[in-house]
Amino acid sequence: MTAPRGVGARLPFVDGIEKVTGAARYTADLSSTGALVGRILRSPYAHAELLEVDISEALKLPGVRAVVTGADCDQPYGVIPIAQNEFPLARDRVRYYGDPVAAVAAVDEVTAIEALSRIRLRVRELPAFFSSADARKPNAVLLHDNKPGNIEREVHNEFGDTDAGFAQADVVREELYECAEVHHAMMEPDAALAVFDAERGHLTLYSVSQVPYYVHLTLARCLKMEMAHIRVIKPFVGGGFGHRTEVLNFEVICAMLARAARGTVRLVLSREETFLTHRGRPESQIRMKLGLAKDGRITACQAEVIQRGGAYGGYGLVTILYSGALLHGLYDLPAVKYDGYRVYSNTPPCGAMRGHGTVNIRFAFESLLDAMAKELGLDPFEVRRRNLLQAPTETINGLKVLSYGLPQCLDWVEKASGWIERHGQLEQKGPLRRGLGMGCSHFVSGSAKPVHWSGEPHAVIILKLDFDASVTILTGAADIGQGSSTILTQIVAEVLGLGYDRLRIVANDSAITPKDNGSYSSRVTFMVGNAALDAAENLKRLLVTAAARRLKVSVAEIEWLGEAAIVAADPERRISFTEVVEEALVGTGTLLIKGTFTCPPEFQGGKHRGGAVGSTMGFSYTAQVVEVSVDMDLGKVAVEKVWAAIDCGLAINPMSVEGQVQGAIWMGMGQAISEETVYEQGRHQAANLLDYRVPTIVESPDIDVHIVESLDPNGPFGAKEASEGPLSGFPSALAAAVEDAIGIRFTALPITQMRVFDALQKKPQTTPPESVSTASARGDT
Amino acid sequence: MAALPDFQLLHPATASDAIRMRALHPGSRYLAGGTDLLPNMRRGLVATEVVIDLGGVDELTDLHEESSALYIGAGVTLAVIAANRTVQDRLPALAQAASGVAGPTHRVSATLGGNLCLETRCRFYNQSESWREANAFCLKLGSDTCRVATKSPRCYAAFSGDIAPALMVLDAKVEVLGPLGTRVLPISDFYRDDGITWLAMTPDELLVAVRVPLKTGWASAYEKVRVRGAMDFPLAGVAVALRRENNTIADLRIALTGVSSRPEFVNGLDALAGHPLDDTALAIITRRIKLGIKAMETTLIEVPFRRRITPVLAKRMVERLWEMVSTSLS
Amino acid sequence: MDCGGWNDPRNGYPMKKILRLSVNGKPREDAVAENALLIDYLRDTLGLTGTKQGCDGGECGACTVLVDSQPRLACSTLAHSLAGRKVETIESLSHEGNLSRLQRAFHEHLGTQCGFCTPGMIMAAEALLRTNPHPDRTAIRAALAGNLCRCTGYVKIIESVEAAAQEQSV
Ligand SMILES: Cc1cc2nc3c(=O)[nH]c(=O)nc-3n(C[C@H](O)[C@H](O)[C@H](O)COP(=O)(O)OP(=O)(O)OC[C@H]3O[C@@H](n4cnc5c(N)ncnc54)[C@H](O)[C@@H]3O)c2cc1C
Ligand code: SF4
Ligand code: FES
Ligand code: FES
Repeated sequence: MTAPRGVGARLPFVDGIEKVTGAARYTADLSSTGALVGRILRSPYAHAELLEVDISEALKLPGVRAVVTGADCDQPYGVIPIAQNEFPLARDRVRYYGDPVAAVAAVDEVTAIEALSRIRLRVRELPAFFSSADARKPNAVLLHDNKPGNIEREVHNEFGDTDAGFAQADVVREELYECAEVHHAMMEPDAALAVFDAERGHLTLYSVSQVPYYVHLTLARCLKMEMAHIRVIKPFVGGGFGHRTEVLNFEVICAMLARAARGTVRLVLSREETFLTHRGRPESQIRMKLGLAKDGRITACQAEVIQRGGAYGGYGLVTILYSGALLHGLYDLPAVKYDGYRVYSNTPPCGAMRGHGTVNIRFAFESLLDAMAKELGLDPFEVRRRNLLQAPTETINGLKVLSYGLPQCLDWVEKASGWIERHGQLEQKGPLRRGLGMGCSHFVSGSAKPVHWSGEPHAVIILKLDFDASVTILTGAADIGQGSSTILTQIVAEVLGLGYDRLRIVANDSAITPKDNGSYSSRVTFMVGNAALDAAENLKRLLVTAAARRLKVSVAEIEWLGEAAIVAADPERRISFTEVVEEALVGTGTLLIKGTFTCPPEFQGGKHRGGAVGSTMGFSYTAQVVEVSVDMDLGKVAVEKVWAAIDCGLAINPMSVEGQVQGAIWMGMGQAISEETVYEQGRHQAANLLDYRVPTIVESPDIDVHIVESLDPNGPFGAKEASEGPLSGFPSALAAAVEDAIGIRFTALPITQMRVFDALQKKPQTTPPESVSTASARGDT
Repeated sequence: MAALPDFQLLHPATASDAIRMRALHPGSRYLAGGTDLLPNMRRGLVATEVVIDLGGVDELTDLHEESSALYIGAGVTLAVIAANRTVQDRLPALAQAASGVAGPTHRVSATLGGNLCLETRCRFYNQSESWREANAFCLKLGSDTCRVATKSPRCYAAFSGDIAPALMVLDAKVEVLGPLGTRVLPISDFYRDDGITWLAMTPDELLVAVRVPLKTGWASAYEKVRVRGAMDFPLAGVAVALRRENNTIADLRIALTGVSSRPEFVNGLDALAGHPLDDTALAIITRRIKLGIKAMETTLIEVPFRRRITPVLAKRMVERLWEMVSTSLS
Repeated sequence: MDCGGWNDPRNGYPMKKILRLSVNGKPREDAVAENALLIDYLRDTLGLTGTKQGCDGGECGACTVLVDSQPRLACSTLAHSLAGRKVETIESLSHEGNLSRLQRAFHEHLGTQCGFCTPGMIMAAEALLRTNPHPDRTAIRAALAGNLCRCTGYVKIIESVEAAAQEQSV
């Protein structure tokens, strides 16, 4: 059998050659001869009323071409239309240390820095709140006047009857879990390049965005420009992981500077500034309560989540809704009650980060499930198998599950890791104890309801076919390193049966490519992939018709071979692809063939408030086993090995799926063992890559990935997402593995050497495993 | 990202040229591998108008064995030290310390001299200019208040070099060249307990070399507590050298790094000479180490942990070396 | 001996001086400011933007280039410290337009996702293979320990280096 060429092929990325040769141009690499240097002045206060921003001295400095402040933009923006409360430059109030206050464009960096130092701020400092608890205190000053109690969004819902469920349970347990705030730390720091064509009044912005379309909308709004006068281009992007799924202040600021200076401005943020722009996963406190019957069936689940959201809305209300919504969809839960609180605080705004909304609550859920299974004498695999869904089904909160490969995922990781022989029985070597833990997780393949509801399809792809007999795929989907351009190319290649040398992809230039909502919620493969499939089929139909016309047979008699078409009954009668194209262009010229995809309304979530969040046409499923060793003297945890199985529907590119799964699990590992942002009175103390501990290659384990293909009925060729779901299963699997090794279960992330060391020192030598929490302990009910 | 401030770059060819340049430009700085100095300059921590690049001073890269010592020039890179056979075989603590510094790419340019003269570190100091400005600066640079201990008249920034404690337990001497000639001092005397002036070297002096005695009968090791498997500075670093005679300790030397403004030689262990390595001895070691730890909240990782883990690590290293020596003797 | 004095840095403008070195096999002679970092010289003066800046100095490895075949952080090196030396960047690796074995392996085995860490990663791996043509996984990890990648979890990076080493031996 020959290896697949289109869908299913382990195709190297279509833009990979540029990346390995250094030819790929990222935003900071764009040629910018004569560009002015942009610089941002950031608030040195955590919370203050801004009485005056005096820029007069800065303007006097020779070489300064523009200075902009909050006075230059009175339009708030934000990714969620009903929660727009951020200005590109602060007006009246600064709300976190690092909040942009003013910006300059100057002929060189030295002048720009000097200009910033000449800007004078007059402020009245306000009490600042750095924890959810402080911000929620009765008399706390409000960060935003319309949000009493500094609560950005409260969510309360109940599906099924949780009281009855807990009453039925044989065991009910409740535990508090805590997760530190984490950050994306994509390797490319933030950057933008804005070109203002003063003669025409047109603006072109190059940026690192995952959502160029939202950037386009926001620039029009904040700069009060016609959308038609704006062009947004996304060059190569060095990762995003959610940092760039909303418009970021520096993008608007760069455009404002270019317009004010009537020229070109290059704004490259430092790593520190990139950390301050944040939008990561919020610090969370999660009170989780589960009821289990003796046989392991879950009878009820109740969760309360408090997220410290930072200074502005951003994606916050979606994050707090996701946490509740995605309690569902992994296991069969008969009753779930959820209370969520998104709190404003004087820290950099949080936002979407890989595994948006699910990671911390999954850690809590899986951890408690493990602990209770143990109490009931059930194996972790067993208790999960007792609670599986049966697809097709609909969850109690209205999420549809049409494909469900979790059982096969469980089987594979159980076997591959040698779970049955090894769990709880790994040998000790000197001071080292080894252990195994497991966890499950899932994620949406695209949010079924887009943030900006415009009545348009969810995704559009255009294929351009011209005299040269090449096919150009035009897409607005942002490839930020996840390989979306490759996946779309493979889908088109599969349908048309063409070689890759005939296919080109052009992505993300609003002047050329169709609008796309962007790369978030793992929507691209599923939604844009479906649009690409549709477009390719539309084009193929046209080509087959042209071939039939040239060969003077009916369409039904044509057999399409990709590089040629033949008459099925008479293979001698054959024309080449080039000839087919010639025929197809007769009378019409260049062909632009469109494909679209729209999520049917029945997939767009339950009718309850916020029901659209979490709704999707297909969930990915992952099971994983983590093996650790723990140094009993020093508390050092080493992750030795991970086995993961993912149900991603059909793997359009298995190599890419493996890469996504490995990357996601590894990022989960960072959150679980070492990463956390640290604020001292609101000041980010770890805004660099030495103190924010992204794992190095040394402590990163081998990760074996197995793909389970459940063939989703709605995904393109049956495909679903693969890059977010695997992350959220890791932290609890790690906690379980540590418990297996040393008999202590940790309920706070990250599980640092300090926490393990302290727990080991405190641990009475012979008593049974206990639960260690930095917060107050468990409350039995 | 901040460009470097303007400065003039000088390229001496000899050590004596270097100190002469230094005398001419008292505010100048020596540049060796640059892996500490240049990131610090980019953060505005070092303002200097003249930088003296030691890269062309060949005599500083001299590494040779003398009758009973190893001579290592200040310009020898950590990669070279870690790969040196004599170091690996006879001075394992030094090899382990050198290969534990930063990452492999740093070690190719990072030098012994730069590591021994490493700027002290603090979470309020190793920050950008705007960060420090917003925090009204601190005693080490720009103001008269220490942010770690607000009433303190001194700075507690931590010395975090990995090599110094290894050289301390190996009983090394440093050679310093000044306008009046060369002076040689035990490495312990090279440091002072102060975060701002942590080196007992006058501004017109240059660290030229280190001499490490090649003694027999000693076993040594260096280990550090760090969050990640590479890159991280020591939260606490422990160097141990041990000489065992049958079932008693003949000599035990322990030195620490990352837990004070200077590398700390642990005093009072000579009392253990002639004693077996029993629980009493281990208790004395723990007590002595705790006395040597003067860690303040200069890192993001809390002090109580650093204080508690250091003796645990040290005890384990001592026990390992104890076993190693006995097996190698048998 | 050059004791300075002839160009007072306080007079406002950074003094430029002629720097002679070899970059990617070609001898160069450029007027470069004395305080210029190697990374800025490569990217801004020579337009070699393959070398990336990922951090504020010394923490990520994205800027790794080779100096006399040894890896070096371009963001923590002064251009003028390299007078007379041989600098190689990612742009120099392909031969006659064809990918080098490491470049091909990173491409074909997905050792690169977003690609931002890739030039530094490949240069660090190149330095390794020049001295140790058949590294095991421990040696690969040790050599790449200063290069952060946020996309791959490093698994396919290690596989890429192994594949390149293998190809070299056949
Ligand atoms: C990300 C990162 C991680 C790091 N991790 C570690 C770590 O784990 N452990 C560790 O010890 N260090 C670490 N470092 C710091 C540094 O890389 C090393 O200490 C290195 O050995 C410094 O040597 P250098 O030659 O590069 O010094 P340089 O930066 O050139 O110089 C450092 C200082 O020493 C002075 N100096 C240099 N040579 C002499 C001399 N001969 N006489 C007098 N003064 C001199 C310089 O003027 C300067 O003040 C790290 C650095 C970074 C950026
Ligand atoms: S110890 Fe105090 S004076 Fe020293 S650097 Fe830290 S804050 Fe500044
Ligand atoms: S750019 Fe990060 S180490 Fe050089
Ligand atoms: S491939 Fe994106 S950082 Fe390594």
